[in-house]
Amino acid sequence: MTTTGTRTTAIALHGVHKVFGESSTRVEALAGIDLDVGAGEFVAIMGPSGSGKSTLLHLIGGLDVATSGTVAVGGEDLASLNDDQLTMLRRRKIGFVFQAYNLVSVLTAIENVALPLIIDGIAESRANERAGRALDLVGLGSRPDHRPGEMSGGEQQRIAIARSLVAEPVLLLADEPTGNLDSVTGDQTMRLLRRLVDEEGQTVIMVTHDARDAAMADRIVRLRDGRIVEEQTLPPVKSGADVLASLEGLDAPEDAP
Amino acid sequence: MSVRHAILGLLAEGPLHGYELRSAYENELVPQSRLNAGQVYATLDRLLRDGLVHHEVVAQNDRPDKKVFALTAQGRDELGRWLGHASKVDLDLRNETFLKLMVARRLPEGDWRGVIALERRGAFERLHQATQARARADRDATPLSITLLLDLAVLKLEGLLEWLDRCEEALGKETP
Ligand SMILES: Nc1ncnc2c1ncn2[C@@H]1O[C@H](COP(=O)(O)OP(=O)(O)O)[C@@H](O)[C@H]1O
Ligand SMILES: [Mg+2]
Repeated sequence: MTTTGTRTTAIALHGVHKVFGESSTRVEALAGIDLDVGAGEFVAIMGPSGSGKSTLLHLIGGLDVATSGTVAVGGEDLASLNDDQLTMLRRRKIGFVFQAYNLVSVLTAIENVALPLIIDGIAESRANERAGRALDLVGLGSRPDHRPGEMSGGEQQRIAIARSLVAEPVLLLADEPTGNLDSVTGDQTMRLLRRLVDEEGQTVIMVTHDARDAAMADRIVRLRDGRIVEEQTLPPVKSGADVLASLEGLDAPEDAP
Repeated sequence: MSVRHAILGLLAEGPLHGYELRSAYENELVPQSRLNAGQVYATLDRLLRDGLVHHEVVAQNDRPDKKVFALTAQGRDELGRWLGHASKVDLDLRNETFLKLMVARRLPEGDWRGVIALERRGAFERLHQATQARARADRDATPLSITLLLDLAVLKLEGLLEWLDRCEEALGKETP
């Protein structure tokens, strides 16, 4: 890990370009991205469709490689890793959550959550113990034996989040995590992510087109045509009553005589 | 005429002293709002004049007599009429953001993108506060009046941000 100031850097991107296709089909999905995210930070990536959000997330997660520039996760330059090392990084350091929950329908909740550990060669009893804790973290500790088909969309997404956390990754990447959810379960999912950041110190990078979801983050990064066109760090949250007082429009209007 | 009817509504639950009225308005009806004392008494004077309330003097043993206000039958009718009519919703369509965008779009040096960026930052700052205060309201025992106001704030800010996206798209097509 590298340290800048007092805060550990979870990811660092410098001059990142990503080009798909050639000549007539050439698309520059990312056109020079510089981005540092500190450990324990919650960053939302916004931007119109086709602006490069998913591509950026895939490069950070080692699911795809940059055409040029450097992508470092936890201080490790991804370009310096061979395939096996990259696989290990994805398995142990990065958790992924997508719009589709990608759960295995014949497995129970706890089996789904334990799966990444089992694949990583961890003994079943130990894997189940850790999966149980991850389920507790997302508020589903009491339903380990339900299968995905017996759970609501919001609950399935929480299982997917538990699965992404079970290896205790340094980084959680989420691509439109509320995309398939109604607004109530979407809010619950966002509150869960926020709590993981506040209480567990989890680093989260989330792609979203939803303003309400993005507003839960500490920082919003806006992409357009593969470039960062805007960044906003959001101020710390006030107490509930102070928030209301600070949102104008509540004072009584003067009545006409 | 919201304060006037709010006062009628509070008095429909039983007679109240002017001070009690003000504190019920500020603490229960419209949390985190301020209603100045002058406004309460001026409104009460008009309600008395119009025959919608009357006052009663309640004798107290150890303290001076207390003047309380109570609803008249006419006041109760007026309250019913108010509750039974759809409110005129203030959509605030010709708001300042809209005005700035229309001005910036016409000026040769007008930076409408800059206007959108600034308005968006302001809205996101407030939405950040409102969504998290709303999340906290569900965890703590927060009065319903506060959670409902936070919901309204969240939804309005979301709507504003969505509208800003539309403005950006449409103005971008006009001046690429
Ligand atoms: N595998 C791919 N092959 C070719 N073009 C791609 C591929 N992935 C993404 N693109 C293109 O890159 C651009 C950015 O895509 P993407 O990162 O998916 O955008 P977003 O997630 O912001 O909607 C788009 O023009 C898209 O068509
Ligand atoms: Mg995408």
